[in-house]
Amino acid sequence: MKDKICSRCIYDSSIPKIEFDENGVCNYCKMSDDLAKMYSTGKPAGYKEFEKILRDIKKAGKGKKYDCIVGASGGTDSSFMLHLAVKEWGLRPLAVHYDNTWNTSFATENIRKVTKKLNIDLYTHVVDNKESDDIIKSFFKAGVPEIDAPTDLAFAEVHYRAASKYGVKYVLEGHTFMEEGVSPLGNTYFDGKYIKSIHRRFGSIKMKTYPLMTFTNFMKWLLFYRIKKIRPYWYINFTKENAKNILEKEYDWKYYGGHHLENRMSAFNHSVYYPQKFNIDQRNNSLSALVRNGNKDRNEAIEEYMTPPFVEPELVNYFKKRLNISDKEYNLIMSEEPKTFKDYPTYKKRFERLRPLFYILAKLNLVPMSFYIKYTSKSEI
Amino acid sequence: MLQTRVIPCLLLKDDSLFKTVNFKNPSYIGDPINTARIFNELEVDELVLLDISATNNETKPNFDLLTNLANECFMPLAYGGGIRNFEDAKRIFQIGIEKIIINSASFTNPKLIRDLADYFGNQSIVASIDISKNFFGKYNVFSNSGKKIQNVDPVSWSKKLEDLGAGEILITAIHKEGTWKGFDLKLIKMISAAVSIPVIANGGASSIEDIGDVVKEGNASAVSLGSMVVYQKKGMGVLVNFPDIEKLKNKLKK
Amino acid sequence: MITIVDYGMGNLGSIFNMFKRVGVLSKITSELGDIKSAKKLLLPGVGSFDKAMQKINNSKIRDVLDYKVLNEQTPILGICLGMQLLTKSSEEGKEKGLGYIDAHTMKFSFENKNIKVPHMGWNMVLKSKNSLITNGFVNESRFYFVHSYYVKVQNEENSILKTNYGLEFDSAIQRDNIYGAQFHPEKSHKFGMKLFENFAKI
Repeated sequence: MKDKICSRCIYDSSIPKIEFDENGVCNYCKMSDDLAKMYSTGKPAGYKEFEKILRDIKKAGKGKKYDCIVGASGGTDSSFMLHLAVKEWGLRPLAVHYDNTWNTSFATENIRKVTKKLNIDLYTHVVDNKESDDIIKSFFKAGVPEIDAPTDLAFAEVHYRAASKYGVKYVLEGHTFMEEGVSPLGNTYFDGKYIKSIHRRFGSIKMKTYPLMTFTNFMKWLLFYRIKKIRPYWYINFTKENAKNILEKEYDWKYYGGHHLENRMSAFNHSVYYPQKFNIDQRNNSLSALVRNGNKDRNEAIEEYMTPPFVEPELVNYFKKRLNISDKEYNLIMSEEPKTFKDYPTYKKRFERLRPLFYILAKLNLVPMSFYIKYTSKSEI
Repeated sequence: MLQTRVIPCLLLKDDSLFKTVNFKNPSYIGDPINTARIFNELEVDELVLLDISATNNETKPNFDLLTNLANECFMPLAYGGGIRNFEDAKRIFQIGIEKIIINSASFTNPKLIRDLADYFGNQSIVASIDISKNFFGKYNVFSNSGKKIQNVDPVSWSKKLEDLGAGEILITAIHKEGTWKGFDLKLIKMISAAVSIPVIANGGASSIEDIGDVVKEGNASAVSLGSMVVYQKKGMGVLVNFPDIEKLKNKLKK
Repeated sequence: MITIVDYGMGNLGSIFNMFKRVGVLSKITSELGDIKSAKKLLLPGVGSFDKAMQKINNSKIRDVLDYKVLNEQTPILGICLGMQLLTKSSEEGKEKGLGYIDAHTMKFSFENKNIKVPHMGWNMVLKSKNSLITNGFVNESRFYFVHSYYVKVQNEENSILKTNYGLEFDSAIQRDNIYGAQFHPEKSHKFGMKLFENFAKI
């Protein structure tokens, strides 16, 4: 860890674009506070706003089979969202899953148990495993950090597709800045053009089943279908600790040992790829968020952060074998100079030019506010 | 331990997993190796893998894929699809697969079953029959993934395969496959009564009730599941799963 | 590290992978040097008794094995045919077994035609004596069996697991550093993993 550490959370001076104020508090803490203020997170005003949104959701869903889409990954946030949607909010969700074919049985079993007990239907989009692997491999070869980007973007596109198929106007996302922080842009960026350009350069199998979110698709979902993205955890009180306890008790849900470890690709990304090639340990996103909001002791967090992440024993071998990468090629790529999204064509400039439009879309809940903050700003925070 | 074997049956096409309905309209399911890993984690007692395009494409089994798959399966594996001769079968066993399944080859080269049973033992050879029921209720036997009708009747053909040395018979009801409408109990019962080797019922399972029915009324010795283990529910998304073991035990209690 | 002896019979991929899955390093080898320096040995086997014994005897593996197991007391685990090879003889063939444990391998032969041979399928095991490799086995532990011949020990103290199939036989045996399992741990998912883990810990 670098010498200067935020006096409030545990981000240190190695974090891109970090600044410290006169009290040693970093700008990411300020960003989080700003979001909490804007959304009155956990406060009566926040709950009131969310209740209004719930009313809107129910109204828009009248006469339809489902009134909202909830992404299901088997992870804590989405599983708990399904629970809340049915048990507390009285909604009729359709669970939507994007299967990148790297799931562990933690993911499939958790999805199965929760959807079964709550009697929720599941919509899945499975990408052809050869295509999925080709895209991931092209990101690996490109030397950029975002090997999870194809999955993350596909998830978003599939949510939209499911929503449009069933006439649903609301997608509920489990993002929580209180527990996960706002990820520094310098670390991860993704959009459809980025994925397409990297795949064009390094991939070999044509994209047929992979759900690419092109700019046109993006605008179609927002402006034509007007599908809104709601992040309930931005309004209400939510802790992962509490969520896990309830999930375990009510659904026999099982924790998979770490953020995103229910999927082997994410697990590889977070516990091997990021730390070893880019010296990024994203655990400090959630650790900082927890400390920032008083949900974890700062010293405990620093200690946890200093311990190397858990790696499933033959994860790296599985990664290599599945993507058909020799040891030599793997070692070469891992030791090569990292590249970033700035080295490849993306939509970033376009997003920046359309900044005012996206502000409006964010205010209308058509894009998340964090998207507006990160993607349309020239200062790349 | 389950008295009756309940076996996930996965269909392989062009190296990926697919699921059909009445042997038509394949839908993509996922990656074979990752799916096998999940079944490992779910601790199923055995797995059946059928390559539904090898015979018609006149290709050999994909030995590399099977090797990787067998190495990932910490439970017994049975494989069928495109096995035409002794050498292919031998290679499959060497890879670490416990049983081989023969369908189309039993029509073009019935002696193969005899030779394999003699060399490897009957218990390693499963004979597979695909049967469809036509509009008039008549049962017809097909080969080549349902593309070629064969002029034999199911009962006498089953007996012939038993005589040739098959250790088990896998009966797939094409008209039920992928429909979630339950097994063809009459068909299974008819064949179970005719042979003394175990009959594995395949095609149509929608619930634990169906599994109970085909065992109790159809007299099936074992049950194979297709759609049930790859979809969350009928008509819904892909989700690799296996029925609740406790509930199965209760249903299958003698 | 577990040295898996490759004498040309048995498929070793699943064994190697299962050790890998439980975090244990293993190596498949036929090299005498590797066997000589092995810390633990695994003797696999699928096929006929005589053929296996001939392969072992005709190569220099036999002498090295005898020395490692009997003199150096290197822990060795024989699986399936590998366990039968540890016995003195088998009704399957004419060759003598390694004889590391005083036991004989006999043929399953039943009057009752409903009991099929070979014994193929999952079956339960019962602890007949405590052993390091069966540590932590739950009550209804079960394993996958495929065999036409079974083992019976001369001395009950060498039997650690028993299984019933038409008759009661020893499904796992032990004498000091020498262990045998009739079933296939590498095909018995979590149950096999427990056994492999235990063997690695010895």
